[in-house]
Amino acid sequence: MSVEAGAVPRSAARSQLARRVRTGRRAVLVALLIVGGLLMMAPFLWMISTSLKTRSEVFGSPTLFPLVPQWHNYLDMWNALPFGTFFFNSLKLATLNTIGQLISCSMAAFAFAALRFRFREPLFALLLVTLIIPFQVVLVPNFILYRMLPHPLSTSGNWIGTQEPLWVGAFLGGAFGTFLLRQFFLAIPHELADAARVDGANPWQIYRHIYVPLAKPALATLAIFTFMWSWNDLIDPVIYLRDIQTLTVTAGLSLFQGQYVGRWPLLMAGALVSVLPMILLFIVAQRQFVRGIALTGIKG
Amino acid sequence: MSALTPARRPDPRRGGGSLIREGRWALVFLAPTLLGLAVLSAGPILATLAISLTKWDLLTAPKFIGLDNYTALLSDDRFLKALRNTFFYTIVSVPIGLAIALGLAAALNTKVRGISFIRTAYFLPVVTSTIAIALVWQYIYSANGGLLNEVLGVFGIPAQKWLSDPTLAMPSIVAMSIWQGLGVNVIIFLAGLQGIPTDLLDAASVDGAGTRARFRHVTLPLLTPSIFFTGVLSMISAFQVFDQIFVLVKPRPTDATITVVYFIYENGFKTFKMGYASAASWVLFLIVALFTAIYFWSQRRWVYYQ
Repeated sequence: MSVEAGAVPRSAARSQLARRVRTGRRAVLVALLIVGGLLMMAPFLWMISTSLKTRSEVFGSPTLFPLVPQWHNYLDMWNALPFGTFFFNSLKLATLNTIGQLISCSMAAFAFAALRFRFREPLFALLLVTLIIPFQVVLVPNFILYRMLPHPLSTSGNWIGTQEPLWVGAFLGGAFGTFLLRQFFLAIPHELADAARVDGANPWQIYRHIYVPLAKPALATLAIFTFMWSWNDLIDPVIYLRDIQTLTVTAGLSLFQGQYVGRWPLLMAGALVSVLPMILLFIVAQRQFVRGIALTGIKG
Repeated sequence: MSALTPARRPDPRRGGGSLIREGRWALVFLAPTLLGLAVLSAGPILATLAISLTKWDLLTAPKFIGLDNYTALLSDDRFLKALRNTFFYTIVSVPIGLAIALGLAAALNTKVRGISFIRTAYFLPVVTSTIAIALVWQYIYSANGGLLNEVLGVFGIPAQKWLSDPTLAMPSIVAMSIWQGLGVNVIIFLAGLQGIPTDLLDAASVDGAGTRARFRHVTLPLLTPSIFFTGVLSMISAFQVFDQIFVLVKPRPTDATITVVYFIYENGFKTFKMGYASAASWVLFLIVALFTAIYFWSQRRWVYYQ
């Protein structure tokens, strides 16, 4: 920077100009982002608007707002199929999946992060490989496995047609959750564990009283992801469930779609109701959600 | 972590001295995972391979037929079409999706009041189920009275059969998928952007680099690990595309939108050709593995680790 006479006012004017250009540019940017955001939201807004229209309104030229909001569409949709049962089933399965993943993944992550044992690296590598395997590759053998397992309450005598295949596996670990939690566990200074060990704590106590409490944010992230995946899962319910009373919201919606072809107001009402729990969860837990993606994504 | 110990992480590969040596405890902690690997993931991959060498309808005993399923696949027009569609979907949706997400993340990485509200709009499709999303898109794409045709009609563009026209169907599905998947990639890129040390950017400004030059020569190289990572995720999930196809267009009769996973689903769980479906699974697995390997190998040419 020069300090010659006259430079000071000129550079001040220039920096003011630069600032104005920057604010202008930023305003354009924000405007573009808002337009883009509205485009992203458009299908949702269209869903809401359609769900409140009459059947004839839907096939006229599109209007943003229904003439008279047809709130009864929601009631009609709710009564068309046992949606209450579907919600209960989805909630039950999502909760079981979440509990299963939290327990089994945190245990495995602790072993990989804090214990030393033979074959640790190859085992972890094997787990990571399963992360990149398309899950469809195991679809057939899993189906066959569940078909071999006896089930006293099932009409087929095995697990096909029951909800068990949709949650039992969650208690048997998972690559994503283990990877996520291991990343977090590695950041915990192991002086803490060393101190506890000197005081006579065994690994289970270290896991239970040091690692798990410190990893609460990561556990929350895993919980949200698991809940969301379970709630939104479509292919497994479609493959395993038979009886309408056992269906989840997604499978129920798929059935609804087949039965009410072209009745867009009812279908949109159903779609909206089905995603509402996830949208609420997302709004409440946006921070954990974003961190989860970032944590598994970058570091490591 | 205290500020005095910056980012000191034990290197698990070398096993820093104070890790606990306990094989038996490890077995306890890993028991669920090991069982899962054996019966649900790693084990079944081998099982799929074995099943793929048989003819099996689940009702009668499996019959060993060697590689017949694989040779049949290679001359099955539906499977070849499914492969073509899957490649098209992957090759188009992944790069476009990444590019849009990168631009968006750079734009969203500003400190303006209300920015978090705008961000939420971009993330929302990520958390909603594909079936709900596909339902509304089915209506938007609908040939008579669909929103898209009506909007395009205003500009004098004739109505299109977005989902039943064989040439338009896959691009329509790609567009919807990009819209849905954008948020995940934006989040990863945002995290990457926020991890870029500001002093590097400041130093570049002092050296006279403009906004574009800073993005090109500082931000972009430092973001390559994020781009690499989102690339892997997007690619793997693109090869597995199923939900959109299942809900939006049941690919019959023209097969214009059949994908490999839909093919697997149909053969395995509609017509119960377990051997044939397993063979298709293995072909898909090998393709994904090959592409992932190539992609990982390519990273030393373009991914910059700090």
